Amino acid sequence: MAIFNLKKREIECKIVYYGPGRGGKTTNLEYIFKTFRKQITGEMVSINTEGDRTLFFDFLPMGLGKIKGCEIKVQLYTVPGQVRYSSTRKLVLRGVDGIVFVADSLEVRREKNMLSLKDLQSNLKEYGLNIFKVPLVLQYNKRDLGEQDIPVMSIEQMDRDMNRQLKVPSFPGSALKGDGVGVALKECMMLTLKSLQKELKWAQ
Amino acid sequence: MGDKENIKRLLQEAELYQGQGLLSEARLKYDAALDLIKNNPRIKNKEKLLAGLAKKINMLEVNTQKVEMGPSSPELSSRAQDLIQKLFSFSKEESEEEAALEGALALAKFGQFERALAEFNQLIANETHRLVAAKNVLRCHIALDSEELAGDKYEEWAKSDMFTHDQLETLRVFMEQVLESKGVDRKLTVVGVKAEAVVEEKKEEEFIDISSIGIYLDSGPGKGKVVEFDVNFQSGNLLSLIVSKKDGTMIEHLAIDNQLEDLQFYSPIAIFNGSGVVAAKSEIKSGPKQGDYCLDIKITST
Repeated sequence: MAIFNLKKREIECKIVYYGPGRGGKTTNLEYIFKTFRKQITGEMVSINTEGDRTLFFDFLPMGLGKIKGCEIKVQLYTVPGQVRYSSTRKLVLRGVDGIVFVADSLEVRREKNMLSLKDLQSNLKEYGLNIFKVPLVLQYNKRDLGEQDIPVMSIEQMDRDMNRQLKVPSFPGSALKGDGVGVALKECMMLTLKSLQKELKWAQ
Repeated sequence: MGDKENIKRLLQEAELYQGQGLLSEARLKYDAALDLIKNNPRIKNKEKLLAGLAKKINMLEVNTQKVEMGPSSPELSSRAQDLIQKLFSFSKEESEEEAALEGALALAKFGQFERALAEFNQLIANETHRLVAAKNVLRCHIALDSEELAGDKYEEWAKSDMFTHDQLETLRVFMEQVLESKGVDRKLTVVGVKAEAVVEEKKEEEFIDISSIGIYLDSGPGKGKVVEFDVNFQSGNLLSLIVSKKDGTMIEHLAIDNQLEDLQFYSPIAIFNGSGVVAAKSEIKSGPKQGDYCLDIKITST
């Protein structure tokens, strides 16, 4: 749940990058940190373990400046994708305002994508949130690997697997190259701000 | 595609997956390549190829073990701990005390027990959170494998007048359960236990410690939702929750004796479902939690 400081006319919201382990959530944040320097308001913090796996979370604070008279601050988080970190994943999700679900395009990760999306749904449910109502975008990451003859799923198949019912905006991407990173974040921010506007009516 | 191309493709995939940290996927591809090489009599330099592949699989296994055996919650820098405390103090805008408790609980959840211990020890001074903080002090000691210190801490509290007899009894029952499960034979001082408490004790021990509860709302404004509340206090099968005033509408339809089906109980060792009944519900009339609700739920089945 975003924090709305009425006195300072400031909104602080939380966007979480969710998805299966090794799917590119941290790489998304690293690219954002490198590329959107103007909007970055602090250091990116990563808590990693063996083999660069996210242990607890990554954190990146951003400032979008004033929108309709309100200073908008955004905190970006990633969750640890590995199954064994389910309790920390749930804790990081607490108070979420928008989600970028980073799915892995590799064919061998098909099942892991779906399990992670299911895990997201059940964690949201535990916080009283509905996956169909929460601002959510999908990013189909690692599209570049298709060029290296590595079996990747088609966009249509990924849409069928994950987006048939959700019907949320989806973007092909390559976080390593930066493709589809900015556009997915922007769309998620837009949906989040629209949803917050409905809830907090801050732009009135 | 011929076997040669197939093997080449499998090895290419395996190496890429390994590079991506997808170790089990890499292993499957290496194994498939291994089978193809073994079963194809026409492949030249078979022994050399198999030896090279065995070396790769061995390295992959070492990496897999490193990942699997890696610490699940290593001690972080104080800067990272500060950040965890700051980011996970969700109530900072509403109540500093509540936020301090949330920050300490987050540190413990992220396995930063030494730091969490220091924070909980400070929070004991705060009357509202005294019992929760004390329980977590004991939990942190136990997580740090210092059951002895946890027991000593309890004895220190038993001698002081900081806790009520009921609170001490809750802490003692909790501690003795943990000590017993760890095979530690230590009896703790019983302070002013009421006769009925002794009778109840056996019953209480049957319930594991529940940290939070998910309630499925079948009516009211949150109909169809599962709302999760932290358990502030537990005495056997009776759970006490503090529901903030902003969530008050979620529970406004709940009344004493209402049956609650589809409850989800979260404990540090398991998540399980069950049902319960609303044992008490009241609005807090004074103090820092004025306006919040106190909701008692009695577990009837798990």
